[in-house]
Amino acid sequence: MNVSEPISAARQRRSFLSPGAYVPLIPPVSALLLFFALPMGMMIGLSFETTLGGFGLSNYQDFFTDDLALDGLRRTLVMSGLVAISVTVMAYPIAYFLARSTTRWRVIVFALAIAPELAGVVLRTYGWLVILEKNGFINDTLISLGLIEEPLPLIGNMFGAVVGLTHVLLPFGILSLLTSIQGIDQNLEKSAQILGASRLSVLRHIVFPLSLPGIMSSFLIAFTLSASAYATPALLGGIKFKVLATMIYREVLVLVNWPAAAVMATVLLVIVIGIAFFSTRAENRIVNRLHVR
Amino acid sequence: MKTFHYLSVISLALGLQGAQANAQELIVNGYGGPYGDLIQETIIKPFAAETGIDVIYDETGSSGADYAKIKATGGNPGWDVNVMTAAQSLDGCKDGLLEPLSLSAVPNLAFIDPGLRDLAGECGAVHELQYVSLLYRTDKLDPAPTSWNDLADPRLNGKIVLPTFNNLLASQMLQVYSAMAGNDANDVDPGLEMLTKLAPHALAFEDTSALMDKYIREGDAWAMPFYSGRAGGMKNGGVPVDFIIPAEGTVPLVATLNVPVGAEHKDAAHMFIDYWLSKTGQESWALAYQVGTARADVDLPADFRAKQVTTREDIQKLILPNLSVTASRLPEWADRWEREVVPAAN
Repeated sequence: MNVSEPISAARQRRSFLSPGAYVPLIPPVSALLLFFALPMGMMIGLSFETTLGGFGLSNYQDFFTDDLALDGLRRTLVMSGLVAISVTVMAYPIAYFLARSTTRWRVIVFALAIAPELAGVVLRTYGWLVILEKNGFINDTLISLGLIEEPLPLIGNMFGAVVGLTHVLLPFGILSLLTSIQGIDQNLEKSAQILGASRLSVLRHIVFPLSLPGIMSSFLIAFTLSASAYATPALLGGIKFKVLATMIYREVLVLVNWPAAAVMATVLLVIVIGIAFFSTRAENRIVNRLHVR
Repeated sequence: MKTFHYLSVISLALGLQGAQANAQELIVNGYGGPYGDLIQETIIKPFAAETGIDVIYDETGSSGADYAKIKATGGNPGWDVNVMTAAQSLDGCKDGLLEPLSLSAVPNLAFIDPGLRDLAGECGAVHELQYVSLLYRTDKLDPAPTSWNDLADPRLNGKIVLPTFNNLLASQMLQVYSAMAGNDANDVDPGLEMLTKLAPHALAFEDTSALMDKYIREGDAWAMPFYSGRAGGMKNGGVPVDFIIPAEGTVPLVATLNVPVGAEHKDAAHMFIDYWLSKTGQESWALAYQVGTARADVDLPADFRAKQVTTREDIQKLILPNLSVTASRLPEWADRWEREVVPAAN
């Protein structure tokens, strides 16, 4: 046994080192390079193109000295952060219920949880428009109940965009948390309860720390998709709420200024990659500190 | 017998090839919805019946998205004819993305108003002429508005809808108000000042004409700038509205047909454009879509002519900005719009 293990490990190393082991990777890697890395590289290259046909940093200088562009970046980050938090907070109890419940409600809740994905994003956003607008369902109800006199500004601002995006992205949060919670050994929870831990204590000291990778995934997915979302902020955010995605739309399709759009897209890409990198590192540190691995 | 068999096979193959050559194909890219249906009925079906050319109508994308595709593919977007605006036509022609159209290839170009041909440049065939009209609810506004300044009338406070800068109407409104102030239409300081004044009175700012449509249709808004074609369609659809060219005049929306340089079926594309520019094509399109025409020799009813731009005199009354200058100044206007008009909005 002591002899066979090193031999087996050595064989495994050899098989990974042999060129044949990498052959199956060639098609997906080629596809990624061709359809993802190359266009991305071209976009980044375009961001350095100057109006005179040369290359330089002037487009970046324009972006970082333009208060409107920086406001758009700030709004994008704040909106995405709020959406990521609200998606994760709302998705957690639903995912926990789905992971632990054995009742027939589980199927119904699961269907309801992923139902938003069955309708297109524009359709869903228009649904919110009907609910949140000045003469929409919420304002009409509140006015008819005598709770308010003037309609509340529920759209045409960040609130509308966050509500719409939370609805659109909730299924992603639920699915990533569900996978994570399902992976937690239920015996740990049972053992803690046998030893006298309350339900809340089990959730706090066992389920929550062990589901941190799922929480981070939910947060990152919601953040990334919000940061690049166009339709919902454009329809629910209104004229004063410009985010980078809506600004990129204008640069590409209205002003035909592709280098400026490429700068915005590159800045967004770098920020999202940076947040993903640091979040993952933070998650690893927290998990290690909690000794849950 | 064997030789006869071979000859039969060869003849059949040649025959098939010939049949393929006869069944030419043409891909036309334009707008969707009711516009697409009208093109199918009014232009594409009669053209296909007359020429035997099989036309595929691609209605995906807005004009901005379509132009972006032409630009991104270096003039090879996968279609042969494109419906565009004159400004895009000029820009694409300058960048070598669109094919110049000659009189020999498209003989009916000779009947298009020379001023509008110059405006659209050598790559664009002006097939349709709309204008920015002042649309208003006839059941709400008595007396009816007569001037662009009436949009600032206190009775319209909270009852007007304005375009966002993503909508071409926005830059055209800047040009209208600037020309009214005696400026060149592309010197838009007065326009920005007026739109900033109007912004707090706006019920909403919208990206597209389709989104603006519902406010006036449902009676939430009583007046707004709107393209004459859509305004005519709304009026004919029974909505209590009317549309006018205010006393100070207006700017046109000049639509063009273009051929990308990489188009596969250029001959068929030229035939299609020529058909649309023909007297019959222009008459039926003008009546179907309720738009004006850049061809002066068309026979159209007097009541239709009263509402549309159909004669040289009508065209000469329009404010015709230099579209190349407009295109070059758009980024600056967009920036000022964000800084001046948007903060004034509610």
